[in-house]
Amino acid sequence: MALQRDVIAPKDPAVDMSPNLNLPLSPAIRAGEFIFVSGMVAIDATGERMHGTVAAETRQILAAMAQVLESAGSSLAKAVKVNVLIYSMLEYNNMNEVYREFFPTDPPARTVCGAKLCGGSKVEIECVALA
Amino acid sequence: MTGQLSRTVIEPTNPRLNVSRNANLPHSPGIRVGEYIFLSGMGPVDPATGGRNLGPFADQIRQTLRNMEHMLASAGSGLDRIVKINVVLADIQDYDEMNRVWREFFPVDPPARTTCALQLSNGNGVEIECIALSL
Repeated sequence: MALQRDVIAPKDPAVDMSPNLNLPLSPAIRAGEFIFVSGMVAIDATGERMHGTVAAETRQILAAMAQVLESAGSSLAKAVKVNVLIYSMLEYNNMNEVYREFFPTDPPARTVCGAKLCGGSKVEIECVALA
Repeated sequence: MTGQLSRTVIEPTNPRLNVSRNANLPHSPGIRVGEYIFLSGMGPVDPATGGRNLGPFADQIRQTLRNMEHMLASAGSGLDRIVKINVVLADIQDYDEMNRVWREFFPVDPPARTTCALQLSNGNGVEIECIALSL
C-alpha cells in the first residue's frame, strides 16, 4: 500500500509563499507520518517579501512555520529536524536568540549553514515534522 | 511498528548515470528505507557519455531533473512522488531561470523545496537532491 502524498495548504493565505511569490513549490507536503516544509523566507501580512534584521526575519519565518504546521495538524513542538540558512554566519547568535523563544524545551535536531539566498532574504528555514 | 525497516541501495538502470561508482565516490546514488527514497545530490551528467553536461544553465537543470526521473524510475517511483527537493545553485542569479524550467517538470502539486547557493564540485551549475515516496 503506497503512502499518500498530500499538499498542505496554510489556513492563512498570507503565509503561503508559493502564490504570493509566484514560486513553483508547495508550502509543505505530508508523506506518511512526516511533514516536509519548504524552505521559508520572511513574508509580511500582505504576502510581500519582508526584509528585516536576521532576528526579525527569523521571528517572522518561525511564526509562519508554526501556522503551516498547524494547518497540517502538527506544530513546532513536533518538528524533528530543522535546517537554517543564513546569509552570514556572523549573525548566528542573532538567529539563535530568537530561535530559542520558539523551541523552549526539547528543541529539534538542527543544522545551520551560511549560504547565498534568493531575493535578498537573510534567513531561510525548512523543517521535517511529525504529522 | 512491526520489525525493523529495511535499508537498500538504489542504483540507476543506466550505468553511465551511476556517478558515485564511475567517479569512485563514497556515496550511494540513493537509499530506500521503508516507503521512502533518499537520493544523493545529482548533477547534469550526460546519460549517453557519463560526462558532465556543463552547457547553458537551463539545460543543466533539465538534464539533472531528467536524470533524477531516471533514478526514481529505476527505484519504482517518479517525479510526481517527490515530497521534498533541495536545490543548490552555484550562482543565486540563476534562481528565476530555475523556476521557469521547474514548471516544465512539476506542473501540478510540486514538491516542497528549498533553494540556496553554495560552492559545488566539478564546475556544476546546479545540484539537486530529493526525498520521494515509493509507488
